Amino acid sequence: MKGSDNQEKLVYQIIEDAGNKGIWSRDIRYKSNLPLTEINKILKNLESKKLIKAVKSVAASKKKVYMLYNLQPDRSVTGGAWYSDQDFESEFVEVLNQQCFKFLQTKAETARESKQNPMIQRNSSFASSHEVWKYICELGISKVELSMEDIETILNTLIYDGKVEMTIIAAKEGTVGSVDGHMKLYRAVNPIIPPTGLVRTPCGLCPVFDDCHEGGEISPSNCIYMTEWLEF
Amino acid sequence: MTQAEIKLCSLLLQEHFGEIVEKIGVHLIRTGSQPLRVIAHDTRTSPDQVKKALCVLIQHNLVTYQVHKRGTVEYEAQCSRLLRMLRYPRYIYTAKTLYSDTGELLVEELLLNGKMTMSALVKRVADRLTETMEDGKTMDYAEVSSTFVRLADTHFVQRCPLVSPTENSEPGPPQPAPTLVINENDMYLVPKLSLIGKGKRRRSSEDDATGEPKAKRLKHSTDNKEPIPDDGIYWQANLDRFHQHFRDQAIVSAVANRMDQTSSEIVRTMLRMSEITTPSGAPFTQPLSSNEIFRSLPTGYNISKQVLDQYLTLLADDPLEFVGKSGDSGGGMYVINLHKVLGSLATATLESVVQERFGSRCARIFRLVLQKKHLEQKQVEDFAMIPAKEAKDMLYKMLSENFILLQEIPKTPDHAPSRTFYLYTVNILSAARMLLHRCYKSVANLIERRQFETKENKRLLEKSQRVEAIIASMQATGAEEAQLQEIEEMITAPERQQIETLKRNVNKLDASEIQVDETIFLLESYIESNTKRQ
Repeated sequence: MKGSDNQEKLVYQIIEDAGNKGIWSRDIRYKSNLPLTEINKILKNLESKKLIKAVKSVAASKKKVYMLYNLQPDRSVTGGAWYSDQDFESEFVEVLNQQCFKFLQTKAETARESKQNPMIQRNSSFASSHEVWKYICELGISKVELSMEDIETILNTLIYDGKVEMTIIAAKEGTVGSVDGHMKLYRAVNPIIPPTGLVRTPCGLCPVFDDCHEGGEISPSNCIYMTEWLEF
Repeated sequence: MTQAEIKLCSLLLQEHFGEIVEKIGVHLIRTGSQPLRVIAHDTRTSPDQVKKALCVLIQHNLVTYQVHKRGTVEYEAQCSRLLRMLRYPRYIYTAKTLYSDTGELLVEELLLNGKMTMSALVKRVADRLTETMEDGKTMDYAEVSSTFVRLADTHFVQRCPLVSPTENSEPGPPQPAPTLVINENDMYLVPKLSLIGKGKRRRSSEDDATGEPKAKRLKHSTDNKEPIPDDGIYWQANLDRFHQHFRDQAIVSAVANRMDQTSSEIVRTMLRMSEITTPSGAPFTQPLSSNEIFRSLPTGYNISKQVLDQYLTLLADDPLEFVGKSGDSGGGMYVINLHKVLGSLATATLESVVQERFGSRCARIFRLVLQKKHLEQKQVEDFAMIPAKEAKDMLYKMLSENFILLQEIPKTPDHAPSRTFYLYTVNILSAARMLLHRCYKSVANLIERRQFETKENKRLLEKSQRVEAIIASMQATGAEEAQLQEIEEMITAPERQQIETLKRNVNKLDASEIQVDETIFLLESYIESNTKRQ
């Protein structure tokens, strides 16, 4: 690097060491013990020479981390596939969520229709994360390349929705889709109880429930929610 | 007893028994066990009336008494038993599904009268059934007795505790109140009666004054002077057994929803086999071998032994963990994990409430925190894939309604907020208790609204009753069509519609009370199973 002095070399070294996670300007100051004004000048210099670049972190939107120009920023900085330009893509996640669920649901349906003995029925209603990943890639709804872990995070949200259950089975190393000797299988399920009795009455969903008592302004006798509900 | 429970008990007592009994009952709930004098003094009612009210309450097993050392008798109200009055329709319906109309009427009469002897009960039910049958047919006592014996064999009715026989032979002054004992073996023993007779049709139109406390009717029913062969042996409905039945129903429907019909039939068979052998409140049923289950399957289901084994293995491996395998003898020993089932049902109830109240994304966060036990704010956003701002909003909303709790873990001894971990967690037991309290208040609200609606239209209801009475009397004396038409037109069309709307509303409110009671049952069973374990 011609034309750069020792200080610049030092700063460049520090930034290179940070790898693809990048390093904050204050951390550069601590590591190099140089005054703030010097650091800023050097950083501007390096940026204009296209040796380093600044990347905005998704965790703290005011922070800028510096890394080498030709490095890809790490997932923890940019947020990975779910963030595009610091914005969480909730619609994208929703669409993927629904597609995965539909795939698992149809698989369970076909397994149930087949009417074979129960063991086979159950096993065929399972889909491994690899299968779901292949299906989503073939659908082509994603502009960004999605890895199997991304699909697994989406499938986990379906588990938290109560629509899908997961089991882990041991699998040989060589089989497709196995990670460290085990595979994750997913299956669409129904909820175990229908919506409970309390939520079928207005009182179960009433926002002013705690203020309601006989003889007060809000009471069962003059409850507008009940009047509306009785008119159905 | 919380305020909501006391309010609900007072409403139920008032509806079933009237003002005086309600006053005494609520006073006893509030103050615990008290002697007669104190009750009369505190509620400012005459001792006579207090005695009558206590008679009614004791007859219905709502109040118990205890003799203390000094010879005073103290009365105590059984709050949980009071709340069961809400569930009477469900008990009667269960008896109807299991033992058809005869069973239904037997249980209904038993619940309405508290305690009855078998002969009086059989006679009353036979009379009622005869009325509904066609002219000329009557109901035989033997049929009713056989249904009663079946009810006793499956433990749905049980004997009441009797006066201990040794007391009368003791020397010294008589006890102020008898102590009642019951032998475990005799509880379901039906006395050898030969009840011969048929039901009688009521000729005159007796008016059932519903205001009269039901206990007094028992005295009227023994018109005939013959000595009753089973005098002193009284029967009552065994509510615990009904609860066991409801719990079994809930388990079977949960399995049917999660798996398929055949699995639920297998679970139903297993539960039926352990009905009498497993005590209520046990965490597991008795182990059942797969051979036994195969033999006890209902005859309509011809599935082979291997298929049954496969189903059992599937049930045992399911993540729900309802069925567990406890051994390999006899083709595999299987148990049903009752406490786990109640926990899952209570959790599902909580999740359903969160979903309906706050939305499906909140439900996702709730289930996430439930599964992972403790989570930080940032982790919740990452796992649930919900933008940070919305996730924060939802978490705080659920926190304010006490579905989610916050656990602080300080890094430094001074608990500085910037150096503390804040973890979200869900405590199912406390959330269940909170929801149960809300259920009680909701039911009280529904009852109040129903009474309000009836009171609003009281004038109209009275008018329509008068018109009906006039029409009935005129029909009895043989009036002409034109006159009947004239009387009917006294009620105008809009008024008729108003009455229709009122009937519909009251039915709707009634039905929703029973629906909320289902939720109450699940939550109460879960809380009971948890507190017993500890």
